[in-house]
Amino acid sequence: MVSLKKAYLKTYQLAKGNPVLFLPFAAFAAFEFVSLIILYLAPRMPLKLLFGPPIRSLWGERFLHYPANFILLPKLASLARVCLTVVIGSLLTGIATLLVYNLYKKNKPVIKEVFKTVLKQYLSLFCIVLLFTLIFYGLDKITSKLLIKYFTSGHTNLLFLGAKFWLGLGLMTLNFTAAVLIQSAFVYAIPVLIIEKATLTKAILKSFGLFKKLFLKTVALVLFPMLIYIPVIVIQYDPAFLITRLFPEAVLLASILSLIVSSLVVDLTITVTAANLYLMNKNE
Amino acid sequence: MNSSAARKKNILLIALLIPVSLILSGCADDDYAIEKRYWRVKKQADKILANPHACPPNQLEKTVSALNSFSEKYPKSSLAVDAEFSIANLYIITKDYESGRAQLKKIIKKYEKSKELAAQSVFFIGNSYELEDKWPAALEQYKRILQNYPETVKGIEIPIYIAQHYKVKFEPDKMNAALQEAISHYKTMAARYPLTPMSYTMDMLVAQCYSEMKDWQSTINTLNAMLKTYNGKVSLEEIMLNLSAIYSQKLDNPAKAIEILNVLIKEYPKSRYVNPAKDIIKRLSEKQ
Repeated sequence: MVSLKKAYLKTYQLAKGNPVLFLPFAAFAAFEFVSLIILYLAPRMPLKLLFGPPIRSLWGERFLHYPANFILLPKLASLARVCLTVVIGSLLTGIATLLVYNLYKKNKPVIKEVFKTVLKQYLSLFCIVLLFTLIFYGLDKITSKLLIKYFTSGHTNLLFLGAKFWLGLGLMTLNFTAAVLIQSAFVYAIPVLIIEKATLTKAILKSFGLFKKLFLKTVALVLFPMLIYIPVIVIQYDPAFLITRLFPEAVLLASILSLIVSSLVVDLTITVTAANLYLMNKNE
Repeated sequence: MNSSAARKKNILLIALLIPVSLILSGCADDDYAIEKRYWRVKKQADKILANPHACPPNQLEKTVSALNSFSEKYPKSSLAVDAEFSIANLYIITKDYESGRAQLKKIIKKYEKSKELAAQSVFFIGNSYELEDKWPAALEQYKRILQNYPETVKGIEIPIYIAQHYKVKFEPDKMNAALQEAISHYKTMAARYPLTPMSYTMDMLVAQCYSEMKDWQSTINTLNAMLKTYNGKVSLEEIMLNLSAIYSQKLDNPAKAIEILNVLIKEYPKSRYVNPAKDIIKRLSEKQ
């Protein structure tokens, strides 16, 4: 049985010896950075012309003014990340997976060729990431709505804990757990799709099968890198605190830190290790 | 130049144009930039307001000067007025009442066309006298608001504010006299603007004054008169809820309270108050 430690070690070796592996993740971080800067400048002309009306009608006029715009910034950045993940991240994850496969086979990858090959499977990649995202956000909405309904209908406690816990830290923990489990279930879908050239349904079903077979290993594979992200979640949890205790732009810096950690550390480790684990498991 | 080179040049141009336009939009001296500058100045003022006694004199001078420069540099910004009020606030909180009042008088003169700002300034002048424990001088200012700016927010609030002062000071006779004055003021105002949102607000304030005096019958009469006057013109749910609360909580008449709530449910079946009204009926029925 392949150990997770070996897969992580392989990831480390590949990343150390092949800077090309960073390219898809750096490209995603660059896209995310540009989107973040655009959102940061959204309350200013000329971007205000485009972003002003939706922000005003969805969240309120005050979020178009300094420093309240920084309260909304992490939320907008998160929405932008979701869109970028589905539209661009799906393609880049496919590219990263094929790069790992080429390196695993000791072939020197040519990025242009890899891009062309993966582009042919873009629709399937897009669907996998969209499905994963919809399930995660659907669950997130349902959980928070259920909790709010529970506490607004007169209940004061749930499992001996009050509304303050459940609607704050409790909800955050539930969402984090859901993110780990859902990502674990889908984590092999892209390697199967790219390496096996499988169909969309087959890739998803095979990923679920592997998730079931290698449950603990897969959950650990996703969980450990995501643990690194917890301090970032804590920093970003209360933008109003950062604004009043530090300065408003601290929220922007926290968002930049968040994108660096998530794109260049968490996503890279999970994607490359999942591909490695899949390949090692396949060759056993 | 071949087409491939031209295309590369265009892509490069676009790639350069995006960051340049972003940087330029970040440097523009627009409303956002003004807000950002004001936030920095206001933060200095907030530090003094949080701990006025520990503030060194030069710090106060520096902050006042920064606020003054701001309001002079951006006279058309709504934040300029805020800056000027902040200066008055800083003087008053550091017990330099004369300078505070001088600043407020300056605001009245500068924004003489805005009755709301003038009323607000006069109110703060009154507040400064209150802080000095000079109630007669404060009262004189509050009466000035009543006379000169009765239709402003402060003008509407001030009669009840005066009564509240006597309530806090445990002077019930003066409080009742102030409430009587308030009632007659509000009634005059309501008569001046019949069947308008202003008259509705005035009538509600009359009812509030009677309830402050614990004159429940007059409160009920006022609210009942409102039910007739504004029938079909505005939503009357809140008046009905007030009436039922008085009957159940003050006059120990749950039957009448239930009757009113049933009318509310019948006349406003889609109201957000229907479910709370049903809960109250259930509770009152159990009590009966």
